[in-house]
Amino acid sequence: MDNVVGKKSGLTWAVHISMAVLVALWLFPTLGLFVSSFRTADQISSSGWWSSLSTQERQVPAIRVAGEEVEVDGRFVIEGRLFEATNASVSAWGTSSTAPEANAPGAVADLGDGVTLTVAEDGAYVLSSPVSTEGTRLPRIFSTAATPPEFTLDNYRAILFDPENVDGMAKAFFNTLTVTIPATIIPILVAAFAAYALAWMDFPGRALLIAAIVGLLVVPLQLALIPLLKLHNDIGIGKGYLGTWLAHTGFGLPLAIYLLRNYMVGLPRDIIECAKVDGASDFQIFIKIILPLSFQFLWTWNDLLVSLVFLIDSTGETTVMTKQIVELLGTRGGNWEILATAAFISISVPLLVFFAMQKYLVRGLLAGSVK
Amino acid sequence: MKSKLIVSVAALALMSGGALAQDLKFPVGEGAFNWASFEEFKAAHGNLAGQELTIAGPWLGPDQELVESMLAYFEAATGADVKYVGSDSFETQVRIDAEAGSAANISVFPQPGLTADLARLGQVAPLTEADAAWLRENYAAGQSWVDLATFNGPDGNPALFGFFYKVDLKSLVWYSPENFEDAGYEVPQSMEELKALTEKMVADGVTPWCVGLGSGAATGWPATDWVEDLMLRTATPADYDAWVANDLKFNDPKVVAAIEEFGWFIEDGKVAGGKGAVATTDFRDSPKGLFSSPPQCMMHRQASFIPSFFPEGTEMGVDANFFYFPAYAEKDLGKPVLGAGTLFAITKDSPVARAFIDWLKVPAAHEVWMAQSGFLTPHKGVNVDLYGDETLKGMGQILLGADTFRFDGSDLMPGGVGAGAFWTGMVDYAGGKSAQEVADAIQSAWDGLK
Repeated sequence: MDNVVGKKSGLTWAVHISMAVLVALWLFPTLGLFVSSFRTADQISSSGWWSSLSTQERQVPAIRVAGEEVEVDGRFVIEGRLFEATNASVSAWGTSSTAPEANAPGAVADLGDGVTLTVAEDGAYVLSSPVSTEGTRLPRIFSTAATPPEFTLDNYRAILFDPENVDGMAKAFFNTLTVTIPATIIPILVAAFAAYALAWMDFPGRALLIAAIVGLLVVPLQLALIPLLKLHNDIGIGKGYLGTWLAHTGFGLPLAIYLLRNYMVGLPRDIIECAKVDGASDFQIFIKIILPLSFQFLWTWNDLLVSLVFLIDSTGETTVMTKQIVELLGTRGGNWEILATAAFISISVPLLVFFAMQKYLVRGLLAGSVK
Repeated sequence: MKSKLIVSVAALALMSGGALAQDLKFPVGEGAFNWASFEEFKAAHGNLAGQELTIAGPWLGPDQELVESMLAYFEAATGADVKYVGSDSFETQVRIDAEAGSAANISVFPQPGLTADLARLGQVAPLTEADAAWLRENYAAGQSWVDLATFNGPDGNPALFGFFYKVDLKSLVWYSPENFEDAGYEVPQSMEELKALTEKMVADGVTPWCVGLGSGAATGWPATDWVEDLMLRTATPADYDAWVANDLKFNDPKVVAAIEEFGWFIEDGKVAGGKGAVATTDFRDSPKGLFSSPPQCMMHRQASFIPSFFPEGTEMGVDANFFYFPAYAEKDLGKPVLGAGTLFAITKDSPVARAFIDWLKVPAAHEVWMAQSGFLTPHKGVNVDLYGDETLKGMGQILLGADTFRFDGSDLMPGGVGAGAFWTGMVDYAGGKSAQEVADAIQSAWDGLK
């Protein structure tokens, strides 16, 4: 307790441990989502993503005998496989839901009327019947089997290359860019001018103005949705890109001004002059200062609400990525495999932006907190 | 440079948007469809070329393709340009759009209660008396469909505000025929038999039911269907109507009895995972228990849409089937059927929107969807042989064989109850509260709305 040095190292440990916990808290669900994006809907609903990483023995839902009927020595035979994977191992099987583990692999079961069925350990089955089974209901096979991990790219294929929605997806992608790029640039430009004035120009009521802008941070945007849309309709903008840019600009400004102003006020005038002496043009200085605000991009990229209200009209031409993904979920939702996959496709652009501008982003976050 | 990029991106985005142009699913003039009615409509409304009709509705994905296949015929007949947009949060979206004055021409409401709200605010255009007369004449139980869509307008006068098209059936129990055969169970014909079968399964060590109430923000709604169905089987249709209108209080002994009746089905041992799992199981995952190995349950009561949540490759009629959720043989209440439907209402009036309402009267408009999937209709003038599969045909028979058809009560109650207190009350009930407590709480929520 008295040992100051020991206390300090204890604190460091606490910081490190809580850091690790926070990272794990964030990474763990993301990893689960990532693994799930490579699984089919039935796999997701029947077992957890963590159990898909290793070979698991489980009772497999009934699989109906199917395949080409061949006549061999007067008997009609259907051969097939229960699993695509060749290294599956069946430990028990049955044909009735009341006794799904009645037979050992290799055993021959008599299904009555001279029909026999056998399932080998690797999941190959043979159904043999004295009369043709064509047109009749073939038996189901319940099995208990250890199957190796199985992953699929079908989800990604369905979202990115399925001809049914590839047009919609491409359209949504460009629409989202059309929303996001101006909705990032406009507020940052406006905020930069405002922040400059608030940081370096002396005029009466400056502090009050800053307080008012900080106060605007707490106005929930949901409150203004309908009045703003009404206004847009009244002045003839209606639903469209212009209205969406305006809405994003309006709601993004208070935070952008606040952060930029705090950042600028911390810069001694000398720095600007020094930079000039070092050969930096005004433009370069400006870029260095405003780049941190590219988090506005991340927010507008992920936005669904503002787009739904101000952009997406009943013609359906102006859908955005988030909306397109929601649509893929179907009328009653529940397509978790699509959701997981779409999430990863959707975050790829923000991730690119993040890694490209990582150091500026961190500076942007710190800019507001330090001063 | 950058602005140039934006402009070109915007231009690209605008160009890539295509109209709802698609081929007609069934060529006009072929098959057992009522093409005469189509040609007749075409002759009467062929002058709408190029006019735009926007439709907003709750259908997405495969359902959207189905509705668009029907809309393609309207386009073919009139030359109008139809645009359909689906939304998973349609209920919220339509309120925002109507409030701000940017609603679609036609909105497709899954809940009549919501249409009533918008009608009172003057945001829905009333249909004509001729439309009402047509419904009375041509829909099975026509008067009840007219009543369900008749609300008070902004001036307080009642009028017909919507047109029901596409009906869902709720009184269905899904099961695996082979699992029944393996265990030697028979499909029950009466509620007494269903209860005896449930008890027999429990005695055999089998779990009879799969019940899941989970549905995100709407968690609890599957239980409201249960209670409504059981209400129709323990009380008279008149009591049901009074209950929906709150003339019969929610905490009336008759309603409490129906809730307790539901409680009988979710007692521990009768439901997969035990009573505690009922509220936390997602309704979309719940039916999968029928098909697991060994089966988690033998029966699942859910509406006609549920096969889309069966495991991939499930063949209807072979791997899965359904039976009518039966009524008590000893109670003289007939064969009641619970259902729901979507209401087409005009939220932005135009001649082409009026023409579209006329289109919904054309038998061919029903038949082209019937012949595919997921569509039931009370239209008496359609060829029922056109139903796309045996399942739909079977459901159509249940619909026609019903003595009493009642609309999903929770959709008719005010939003605060039917899409609020009733849902949460049912979750509380599954969580162990008594039926009386839950009913009292829902009634006081209803009183609070008055």
